Amino acid sequence: MAVVAEPTRRGRRSGPQARREARIGLLFVLPCFLLFLAFRFGPGIAGVLMSFTDYSLTGGGSFVGLDNFTRLWDDPLFWQALKVTVLYTVLAVPGTLIASVSLALITRRAFRGAKFFRSVFFLPVVTSLVLAATVFVWIFSTGGPWSTLMGWFGMSEGSWLSDDVLVLPALAIVGVWSRFGYGMLILLARMQDIPRELEEAALTDGAGPWQRFRYIVLPQLKPALFFLAVIETTASFQVFDAVYTMTGGGPANASYTLVFQLYDAGFKYFDLGYASAIGVALFALTVVVAVIQRLVIGKDQ
Amino acid sequence: MSRLLTRRSRVRAVAAPVLATALAAGVLAGCSGSGSDDNTVTMWTYPVIFDEAKNKAYWDGLVKAFEKEHSGVKVKVETFPWANRDTALATAIASGKGPDAVYLIPDQLPKYARSIVPADDYMPADAKSDYTDFALKSVTVDGKALATPILTSANPLICDKRVFAAIGEKNYPTSWADLQALAPKLKKKGYYATTYYGDTQQTLNMTFYPLLWQAGGDVFSEDGKTVTFNDAAGVKALTYLKEFVDGGYTDKDLVTTTPKLEQTPTAKGKIACTWQNTPADVEPFWGKENIVVQPPLKDVESVGYGTVGALSMLKGADKKNTGDWLNFVAESKNAAGLEKEAGYFPARRSGGDLYPGDALQTAVGATLPNMTVGPLQEKAREVQGVLAPEIQAALLGKKSPQEALNAAQKAAQAMLGR
Repeated sequence: MAVVAEPTRRGRRSGPQARREARIGLLFVLPCFLLFLAFRFGPGIAGVLMSFTDYSLTGGGSFVGLDNFTRLWDDPLFWQALKVTVLYTVLAVPGTLIASVSLALITRRAFRGAKFFRSVFFLPVVTSLVLAATVFVWIFSTGGPWSTLMGWFGMSEGSWLSDDVLVLPALAIVGVWSRFGYGMLILLARMQDIPRELEEAALTDGAGPWQRFRYIVLPQLKPALFFLAVIETTASFQVFDAVYTMTGGGPANASYTLVFQLYDAGFKYFDLGYASAIGVALFALTVVVAVIQRLVIGKDQ
Repeated sequence: MSRLLTRRSRVRAVAAPVLATALAAGVLAGCSGSGSDDNTVTMWTYPVIFDEAKNKAYWDGLVKAFEKEHSGVKVKVETFPWANRDTALATAIASGKGPDAVYLIPDQLPKYARSIVPADDYMPADAKSDYTDFALKSVTVDGKALATPILTSANPLICDKRVFAAIGEKNYPTSWADLQALAPKLKKKGYYATTYYGDTQQTLNMTFYPLLWQAGGDVFSEDGKTVTFNDAAGVKALTYLKEFVDGGYTDKDLVTTTPKLEQTPTAKGKIACTWQNTPADVEPFWGKENIVVQPPLKDVESVGYGTVGALSMLKGADKKNTGDWLNFVAESKNAAGLEKEAGYFPARRSGGDLYPGDALQTAVGATLPNMTVGPLQEKAREVQGVLAPEIQAALLGKKSPQEALNAAQKAAQAMLGR
């Protein structure tokens, strides 16, 4: 909204004092930067380099040029994994954003027990997904709570995890459950900054709850939503632990994601060159999608 | 930061990050440190004896006895968890920090072959001739024994006596036809005939391959250059399995997910027979007295999966000291403690009968000649990786058994050609 004034940016200071402070500041950042270089950036670059080799843990490796990438291009399993990953993301990211916004709206006001509910909603974020997934296997099993519930709605009582169409929605539900608390927290923080007067003015003008949300709250949330969309997309592209625990990529590869393929290639077959190529493809995909998101959602920022 | 930085606080401000940087650099430097002692033999093993205290007591006792016989040589036995053992081992080998010796099963040997010192280099001839054919053949890759076997195991068909009593059946199945004939009767009383763990993370050695072997088929051709699981025997095996899934004679959920054992129909006493769990797995749920051990099911022949626990020497080890240690552990009298405590069987003929008076273990031991360890091919796991999802597709009715196996064959063959 145009009526909300942007906070004025502090002017850049100059002079020897500021430069000294900047140098000391840099010194403080240095240890973390060194560790980042060694444990993040270094392995990242090594991974890219490795994708041009046929490196295997048990048998050395040599430079093979683009062989791993042409192999990837010709590998039907890669395209299947890519399709699964994209479909999962299409289900999980909007689901997480909607759940985050809804629960942030519900818990934003300081009603009795608000803090309790915020904490409860945040709990899945700090719960081990492997542990939770074990419980979800039971929830989704034939005769389990979810199947019984679906039975009441006239749907099949079979396990969603055994169905090649329903397995991804099932995994997306678990994904949304494990992630919405984080989104809720980010959005809550942003919502607290929205001046109440704006909504009160809209209320006086006769705006209903939906109009107040659509025209007052939502525009203010845009930067936070953009941030969440990028974070959630990246997380969804990297989904692994729930799939590993709940379906093992099945049934018949219907939930076989890119990271699962990377894991199999790298840690089951020790084919590290190929695994690195999958990693590079995943990285490229994430960057492309983040740029598109930036153009679509974040263009005003 | 305050504008009123005194000299002292400035020094402190600079010193803190410098110190932190030094620490960070120290951490990095620590990552590349390595040290080895020539007279120390390090061995990695896993909880073969499930009870941690008993496992430690066994190895401590053995190390002590060995060090007494070989003065100046130290042995360090490290027990790691089973989970992700290949990742840890392969990473250690690649970074030059692998142990001198390690516990492996035949399935792992082809992958590590290039890092292993052949057992013929240190195994005495009399010891070699003492091994059972099953044990020695199972660790032999491309004509070379790659490990020293120290135990053998069998996964026979096991049946739950209570279930048979409940349906008034006295005869236990020995053939495919027997189990198939019992299935409707069992279903009527609310029992599954068997169980099938189809989750792609399960090894096919314990699930589908026994059926394939029983039908007279095999995974690879003799020369290992082609896969043969899509021949008539393979189709027959998968069709047989599919009839159990389609008929509701096995829990369909297990085709895709593997819950904890206690949540499975097997543990709940709801299945008649299985070849996918061992007597040790089901004993806490069924009770020892209710476990009936049968030879593996037979269609064309009666074959099951069994394995061999073995110790391999890795390249870079001191051949003399490590060889002495491995030969010492493999002696029948020394391996017996491990075999007996873990419920396994000797790999050598001189190991004798470890379980006189124990009917259950004697029955399991009697099935050892029917066991095979599965394919000893470098790409065996990759082949499982493409076959398992296709088996799922067939069992869930997405493809016919022949279509599914053909698709897997095409993918597997492409991999073997690389």
